[in-house]
Amino acid sequence: MANESRLASWRRVVQENAPYLAIVIFLIVFPHLVGWITGDSPFGVGGRPRGQSVFWQSVLIEVFILTILTMSYNLIFGFTGVISFGHALFFGLGGYILGGALELVGLSPEVGLLAGVAVGVIVCGVLGFAMGLVTLRLRGVYFAIFTLAIAEMFFIYFGRLPLTNAEDGFSLNALPDLINPTRNRLTYYYLTLFFVVLTFVFIRRLMHSPTGKVMLAIRENEGRAQTIGFNTLRYKLLAISLSAMMASGAGMLHVILNKKVGPEILGVTYTVDPLLMTIIGGVGTFSGPIVGAAGLHLSERVLNRQFVIGPLTIDVGQNWSLILGLIFVLVVLVFPKGIIGTWTQWRTRRRSSIG
Amino acid sequence: MSDVILEARRLRKQFGGLAAVDDVSLSIKRGSVHSIIGPNGAGKTTLFNLLTGTYKPTAGQVFFKGEDITHVPLHRRAHLGLGRSFQITNIFPNLTVLENVRLAAQAMSEVNFHLLRRADHFKSFIERAQQVLEWVGLADMAGLPATVLPHGGKRKLELAILLAPDPEVLLLDEPTAGMASEQVPELMATIQEVRRQGNKTIVLVEHNMNVVMNISDIITVMNLGKLLAEGTPAEVSANRTVQAVYLGELYTHTEG
Ligand SMILES: Nc1ncnc2c1ncn2[C@@H]1O[C@H](COP(=O)(O)OP(=O)(O)OP(=O)(O)O)[C@@H](O)[C@H]1O
Ligand SMILES: [Mg+2]
Repeated sequence: MANESRLASWRRVVQENAPYLAIVIFLIVFPHLVGWITGDSPFGVGGRPRGQSVFWQSVLIEVFILTILTMSYNLIFGFTGVISFGHALFFGLGGYILGGALELVGLSPEVGLLAGVAVGVIVCGVLGFAMGLVTLRLRGVYFAIFTLAIAEMFFIYFGRLPLTNAEDGFSLNALPDLINPTRNRLTYYYLTLFFVVLTFVFIRRLMHSPTGKVMLAIRENEGRAQTIGFNTLRYKLLAISLSAMMASGAGMLHVILNKKVGPEILGVTYTVDPLLMTIIGGVGTFSGPIVGAAGLHLSERVLNRQFVIGPLTIDVGQNWSLILGLIFVLVVLVFPKGIIGTWTQWRTRRRSSIG
Repeated sequence: MSDVILEARRLRKQFGGLAAVDDVSLSIKRGSVHSIIGPNGAGKTTLFNLLTGTYKPTAGQVFFKGEDITHVPLHRRAHLGLGRSFQITNIFPNLTVLENVRLAAQAMSEVNFHLLRRADHFKSFIERAQQVLEWVGLADMAGLPATVLPHGGKRKLELAILLAPDPEVLLLDEPTAGMASEQVPELMATIQEVRRQGNKTIVLVEHNMNVVMNISDIITVMNLGKLLAEGTPAEVSANRTVQAVYLGELYTHTEG
């Protein structure tokens, strides 16, 4: 009896999440699919990480990392209503701490990895909390400005710090084999995919919990949330800490993929990208960050070449910021609530006008 | 003294050069309906904001059950049993009507920091929200986003959010503002019913004099931030100054 109902509830979970499961299954077979179509093994060609399958794995790993970063941004911006202009701080600091633990402290790769991840996640969580604590009591944009200032400060600081090789940064060579993307690209692909799924499931779970409901209430109307008895500061601090931890994780995955740590990971790109990706995908939606990150990053990678139209030669790579701006304006005009947000709205309207 | 539940002592709130509330002392008796009336800009809403903690006073104190709560923050006052509704509808626009009220019911509980349990696992808040929506007559709109409610519906929701946590003292700031007049008696009947069942204290700001004169035990009249008069409905309506400043003007308005 109990077994039966458990089975039924599993079936319901599968049915409700059918589109997501389909996407995950597709992403699991994807490297093999590309390998099968192009004839390049997903494990590389000639013992080296080369070939079409490996190339597309790298592109998707980048998408996965940006997706995690964007989902973390959406947690504060889309679900709690807190604007930050310094998300790169957590992304970059996570990367630096992990990189430092692996290369600068003299630990064995395995211990360095574990210590770096633990320390990086905790430091970023605490830093997010502390930054929120000093600015979030104030209304308005103080938190946003403060995060921007601190992120820029770290960017400049690490750009000059001799220990981390100033603006050249340092490379990561002491990686444990299992997560070494040059040796084991496919494993790293599945690892990042796993973290995307984990982050997605966690955020969705959180937003359906009593705590997440309060975060939504704060986004909707913080004053009223306080009046009915919520200490809104606590929930905002929690959201920022969790978000900072996730962003630091994304930064760690990023430095491992590139096997390099440098000040660019603290740069404004990693603040602007998740912001734009959230808005384009749909602020405060679950799948918006996925659509935004995949859409923008894939179009950058696919369009990244020269186009010749009659006498006109357009180098998309060089003008990517300009093109990104245009895409952004277009999407916001056509989909005022982002792609997923507008689509959901359209679907509910249609349903309610039929029903 | 123990029959006074909420008290303002020499409260004052200064906005630049304007004293919106100017040296106001007020005692609200437990179980009473205490109305605060006065012309636009008299300082009634500002007084509410001081009593509930939205604003910190420039001077003066607020006491609740004999304790000084002047420095107790807004959200803690809700837990003490102070609830208020707003003159200008103040809801969670993109959440459903049910969720608006469910949140208010959840606010008093210990479950707020469950991160991984589903909110609908905690059935009591949903049941409470449904019950309150029945009272105010919004039960069949529970699933709609709050923002699509017509104005009257939003006023009812405003009241439902106040009622859900079951506060001891209800501060109602023009609950019927902008409502169609045929809906007013129903809403006031709901408020009366809640009060009688739970032995609640009600502080009411209202421009509708029929409502005020019928429902109130005590009326306080304010003008330009100051207290003008206080007494039973009969005493206040017989008061010359009050007539001149507020009631007279009001009655000529309705006649003309
Ligand atoms: N936040 C504020 N900043 C500056 N002035 C304010 C503020 N809030 C209220 N006031 C001013 O204080 C005075 C009292 O306003 P209040 O809203 O308390 O009046 P009220 O009695 O509620 O009026 P009404 O009947 O129109 O609701 C008004 O002159 C108003 O303009
Ligand atoms: Mg008012």
